[in-house]
Amino acid sequence: MNFRKVYEEFILTLRNMRPDVIIHNPVMFLTEMSLFISVFIYLFPGFFGVPSTSTYLQFYLAVVILLFLTVFFSSMSTAMSEGKSRAITDSLKKFKTEVVAHVVRGDGTVEVKSTDLRKGDIIIVYRDEIIPIDGEVVEGSGYVDESNVTGESRAVMKVIGDTVTGSTRLITDRIKIRATADPGSTFIDKMIELVNRATRERTPNEIALTVFLSGLTLIFLIITASIFSISHYYGRTANVMMLIVLLIALIPTTIGALLPAIGIAAINKVSEYNIIAKSGRAIENAGDIDTIILDKTGTITIGERQAVRMYPNKGVDEKEFYRMCALASFYDQTKEGISILNLAKSNGISVSDDDLKGYRFIPFSSETKYSGIELENDYVIKGSLRALKEKFHVADEFIEALCKEISMRGGTAIPVVHNGKFAGVIELQDLIKPGIKERISEIRNMDIKTVMCTGDDEVTAQYISAQVGLDEYIANSKPIDKYNVVIREKERQRMVAMVGDGTNDAPALAKADVGLAMNNGTQAAKEAANMIDLDSNPTKLMDVIFLGKQILITRGALTTFSIANDISKYFVIIPAIFYMFPSLSLVNVLDLTDPIVAVTSALIFNTIIIVFLIPLALGGVKYKPTSISDLLKRNIMIYGLGGVVVPFIAIKLIYMLLVALGVVW
Amino acid sequence: MNLIEYEAYFWAKFFVAERAVSGVIIILIYLIIASVFAYILSFHIAKIYSDEKTVFSRATGGVISFFEKLIGESPDHGMNFREYFTNLLLFNFFAGLISFLVIMFQNYLPFSYDTIGMPPSLAFNTVVSFLTNTDIQHYSDPMRLSYLSQTLVITGLMFLSAGTGFAASMAFVRGIRTDRGNIGNFYHDFLVAIFDLILPLTIIVTVILIFAGIPETMQRYVTVNAFLTNKVYNIPLGPVATLEAIKNIGTNGGGFYGANAAYPFENPDWFTNLVEFVSFIIIPLASLLALGIVFGDRKFGRMLYWVVMFFFIFDALFAFFGEFVGVPFLHLGYYTGNMVGKETAIGISQSTIFAVGATITSTGASNAALVSYTPAGIIGVLIGLLLNDPLGGVGTGVLNIFMYIIFTVFIASLMVGKLPEIMSLRISSKEIKYSTLSLITHPLLVVIPLGITLMIPHLMSTFVNPGSSRITELLYEFASAASNNGSEMGGFDTNQPFFNYLDGVLMLLGRYLLMAFQLAIAQAFSVKKAKAQYYRSIDTSNWIFGMLLIAAMILIGLLSYFPIIVLGPLLSWAHDFNLMLGAMV
Repeated sequence: MNFRKVYEEFILTLRNMRPDVIIHNPVMFLTEMSLFISVFIYLFPGFFGVPSTSTYLQFYLAVVILLFLTVFFSSMSTAMSEGKSRAITDSLKKFKTEVVAHVVRGDGTVEVKSTDLRKGDIIIVYRDEIIPIDGEVVEGSGYVDESNVTGESRAVMKVIGDTVTGSTRLITDRIKIRATADPGSTFIDKMIELVNRATRERTPNEIALTVFLSGLTLIFLIITASIFSISHYYGRTANVMMLIVLLIALIPTTIGALLPAIGIAAINKVSEYNIIAKSGRAIENAGDIDTIILDKTGTITIGERQAVRMYPNKGVDEKEFYRMCALASFYDQTKEGISILNLAKSNGISVSDDDLKGYRFIPFSSETKYSGIELENDYVIKGSLRALKEKFHVADEFIEALCKEISMRGGTAIPVVHNGKFAGVIELQDLIKPGIKERISEIRNMDIKTVMCTGDDEVTAQYISAQVGLDEYIANSKPIDKYNVVIREKERQRMVAMVGDGTNDAPALAKADVGLAMNNGTQAAKEAANMIDLDSNPTKLMDVIFLGKQILITRGALTTFSIANDISKYFVIIPAIFYMFPSLSLVNVLDLTDPIVAVTSALIFNTIIIVFLIPLALGGVKYKPTSISDLLKRNIMIYGLGGVVVPFIAIKLIYMLLVALGVVW
Repeated sequence: MNLIEYEAYFWAKFFVAERAVSGVIIILIYLIIASVFAYILSFHIAKIYSDEKTVFSRATGGVISFFEKLIGESPDHGMNFREYFTNLLLFNFFAGLISFLVIMFQNYLPFSYDTIGMPPSLAFNTVVSFLTNTDIQHYSDPMRLSYLSQTLVITGLMFLSAGTGFAASMAFVRGIRTDRGNIGNFYHDFLVAIFDLILPLTIIVTVILIFAGIPETMQRYVTVNAFLTNKVYNIPLGPVATLEAIKNIGTNGGGFYGANAAYPFENPDWFTNLVEFVSFIIIPLASLLALGIVFGDRKFGRMLYWVVMFFFIFDALFAFFGEFVGVPFLHLGYYTGNMVGKETAIGISQSTIFAVGATITSTGASNAALVSYTPAGIIGVLIGLLLNDPLGGVGTGVLNIFMYIIFTVFIASLMVGKLPEIMSLRISSKEIKYSTLSLITHPLLVVIPLGITLMIPHLMSTFVNPGSSRITELLYEFASAASNNGSEMGGFDTNQPFFNYLDGVLMLLGRYLLMAFQLAIAQAFSVKKAKAQYYRSIDTSNWIFGMLLIAAMILIGLLSYFPIIVLGPLLSWAHDFNLMLGAMV
């Protein structure tokens, strides 16, 4: 930790303590007002008619210090959260590099600073130059290094019509782009703005909690005031300082102090996942998702079909068949072709250029649906079963049965024809991402329904969905199907989360409660979504759901803890204020004999518990996906019962410690 | 003596000797009987809540539609919150205004025989009190009211306030149940509540009470020439049985006689005591059970039943043992418990269960002088008032407990990382806001007047008991007014303009302000469509939720009063306790 950071956070803390800032948090505002009054009492005890012997003055000073620390710790926890999100926006700002752009004016180009560009300008970007502004490629193509924005180290090919992001670097060729944004409203600017706004604005849930806490605070304020009149009735003037301590102990300072920090921490944690959340609300919604729509390709499977096995036909030698497959795929540069060659290699087959001298390569085309090699009458062709049957008029029951079986397993069958006869079948499988099955079962443990959308046929979709344990799948799906699922679920008042990247996805993303857009997706998708994943990793949707739950749990747990604490404080402070009634000793369950030390102990507990809980507020409550009722039981035990018992023990210990240290007032 | 006779003899002897055991058993019998009748009635109420036809519809449907045609309303005219509440308020306001005028000018109206009359402050207090289903009576002499006032104002308002309360709960349930964006038609709800529920039950109870010997006559007085004092007493009679029936069925609680159910003409023996107890428990308890039927989740109704029973049994036993143990140092020899201010025909256990039942619902009837209760006994009775009547009045019980339910769902949902929802409806920040407002209104209405009154010495001058009992009595008075309960502890002259007006304002706010918040929540729910659940969110029907609800009611509802309870009744109790120890040493 460097000093600069500490200093910055200290300044932030002080800023957060300003009355006009803290007033947004009624609990802490009241605490600060009490601090001011207690300072006043400490300085002018006579004015309030409270005892001013030196022991009492020491007590007043202790109260002043403890109240100050309460406000300070609260502001500090917020500052720590804010400091983090400031660091995140700072790191985004670093991407904004000011460069000179070559703007096309008439026949030539003019050099214009990137900050002076306007939407619609046509700009030429040369190799190794930074792209000055968000735009669309209108001429040429080239590889762009977007690692600073997306974290993806591989350069991306951009052709006409693709969007490019400002501050990324063109590493090959030369392109002409048309600016699609004014400076100040570019993608990065927007993201900085989003993070800032999301940190500032409070979610509906947070507002509800604040209203509730303010209500409680109001009750306690009135109750404390009534104690003043009750003591007046008993012919005594209550010590205002004691009443202030009672008030501060009773109002929910613990949750009140940490509430703002929890909200900002959620945004920060999402940002750490490299996701830009447009609002805190989206994160909270994520916690309550009922249905999650997943794409098969890219989310559940890697999205590349790979050869996993080769089945020779009856009467065909195994090695010979492997060799045929390798030969047929030797010139095939598609990913499938390469994987077939690799599979053959791993089975001990090696082929070289010499083996194929004179052979002609038939490339794959979407019309023919096959590829292979041929030399006069000698040929090896692989392709779709139907295409091969039509082309070569071959039929083979065994092969057809095999193909069917493979597609039942979710694979793709590629039969191979050698000189008019089926030689065998290659099985391609789209590999299920490692670990996805566990993630899906976690999601299902959270009682969330999973729906998979895939362009594959029924059989494949069913296979994959059974493999990873999904609830529902939509085969042969078109982008509109996703939208329909979202609408269907929304009509049933369910909360829907989905991932999207294409322009087609934009309507569904906009309708979904949580729409996570991939950064490599289209601008329309990114604008419609309420979160953008800079790494373009769709599985992160599940992390967001997890986070959403965690933030809600943290709030609920701390609120419960805070309210439960009040029981002990009543039992400590009330007998201390009315120590003159010996009959009240039956309320003094902790047997704290010195009233002022007892009150101080309660206030010390009240203050330091905030410090102890700051890590919990910033890091979130530990959460393991279990059933709702187990989770509820567990959290009631820890934060409810714990909240009742812990302060009793802690206050007694603090009291004993103070007495042992010789503090006697 | 054969074996059966011996057995009977043994147990009779046992129950006479072990009065604590028999007292607890009597209390449980009361609760069981009330529960059985409430269970039966719950199906009827569920039908009303679901806007279905009931067994009475054939007879009452015509009457209801006649009245609706008369005022030009129809059940198809759904009202949103603003409209519904405005109509409710105006209707109540005009009824209150007319009642006030009747009382102020009762001497110029017929059926006024030697009526003493009321000063404006008392009339205001009385009208507001009966209008808001509170029935605090700052007067004890029945001569204060003419028969016209008794019938029109007292009995009339008793029906009106119960009907209004039940209509509000119908609107609330409808808001949750449907998604039409409105909460129904107030006048229709009111008429249904009166004709399909309150009136039939009142008639049944009246008949039972008449057979049990309670007067029902238009005769003026019984003149008693007391043998020893040679003084002539005029004991007013009247339609006591009817009043008694609606007083309890409508959870009103204001008696014909100032002494309320402690007066032999209102409550002569154990049987009428039981009938009256059951009749004020039955609608509130049945309404809670009906919720389970209406929302298609019987366990939910059962959960609410046990939550309320938890408080009920706890309070009843607390009050019973408080009274049973009493203040033994006063009677060093044979001690029968604290019988001061109790009717001997009814006894400790039946007095305490009656008193606790009257404060757990918003009835406030009493069959004993609460001011002579021991501090421990009074705590048991007081808890219901401080919780704003957990079982509530006719209709309002459903509204009140839902405020706690919404809050509990909110916290419990947060604790499991869900957004709150109830009956598959999302609870948004608006509902939390209104339920918070409604939860804090009650303590504010109690504590602020208490704090102010304690600071004004001349108001404290009419108290009879010294020291901490006065705090208890004031707390009781304001809690009773704010929760529209009407139970009176007394102990000081409540018929002072200050208390008359202050209580009146508390009753109005405690009734209509809370109802506004609660109906606003109903409106918010009425535009929401229920979610088709895959899996349950927080299970609001299991025992965990029940315990959480109890904890929330204690922490939010009760604990705020901790300092005042400690410095009032608890201090008196500790004081007595020390005296007792002193006497023993």
